[in-house]
Amino acid sequence: MMPTAGTEIPTITRTPDAIDLFMFSGAAWLIHRIHYDLPFTTEHDGHPGLLIHGPLQGTYMVQSVQRWLGRTARLRSITYRHLAPAYLGDSLECGGTVAEADGDRMTCELWIHKTDGTVATTGTAVFEVTP
Amino acid sequence: MGVITEEARRWAEQDYPDYAFAVNERDIQKYAHAIGETDRMHFDREAAIEAGYDEIVAPPFFPYVIRMHASHLVGRDQLEPDGSASADVPPLNTTRAMAGEITIDLGEPVLAGDVVTVTKRIADLFEKEGRSGTLVFVKMEFTFTNQRGDLVAREEFTRIYR
Repeated sequence: MMPTAGTEIPTITRTPDAIDLFMFSGAAWLIHRIHYDLPFTTEHDGHPGLLIHGPLQGTYMVQSVQRWLGRTARLRSITYRHLAPAYLGDSLECGGTVAEADGDRMTCELWIHKTDGTVATTGTAVFEVTP
Repeated sequence: MGVITEEARRWAEQDYPDYAFAVNERDIQKYAHAIGETDRMHFDREAAIEAGYDEIVAPPFFPYVIRMHASHLVGRDQLEPDGSASADVPPLNTTRAMAGEITIDLGEPVLAGDVVTVTKRIADLFEKEGRSGTLVFVKMEFTFTNQRGDLVAREEFTRIYR
């Protein structure tokens, strides 16, 4: 059933560990060192820790909707941007709101909050929802 | 005073070769485990058929995996000291890179057995003053098509260099 505009998406919390970061880099063949080489990441790039991949965060945002609606929701498009880096050890709370429901199309405003309340990532996604 | 040189502008006009990626079950399964997917249609053919697909179906962001292989499945000498693909990095005095905005529009789903071809071009190269100095933005555009000629996805991705 199509949710109505204003409905809040039940949040999910993901806390990717070193194994998750390794698996994502490996499966995507993403070789950027800031996701696995801590001395390089702190000394060369000036980050306090290893970075959680941007596209992994994008995936988590989509999963918050899929965990809620299951196979009835199929992603059609998404735009997202990172407002603050997320580091290994951060818990990512993923949630959002249904902004618009029109026919079989549902537009969601999605966000990821870190434990300290900082917004890491925000996005807008359109899903096709089948009855 | 801008930091983007004529050399960098010429670099941005380069033609990248198309890249064809034959999708197999194992690629989909690996990626699905990496993102914590549990739906059996990404792992098991019977579950995929039950869900209305002809073969194991990839999670929606799988085109990202294809374009990462197109960039990074290269010889060791074609990677930068930070692991970035040399062909993707503008010839500037920037040393650090981060992900910027991404837009993905999806078409047909990716199934095991598909051959997906990605075409890639640099759509924009520009700079902005940030708090920590000048930031250089490289906006890349990708089009993914399957062996039947159907559009699988279009993606715009901006990488930020400083």
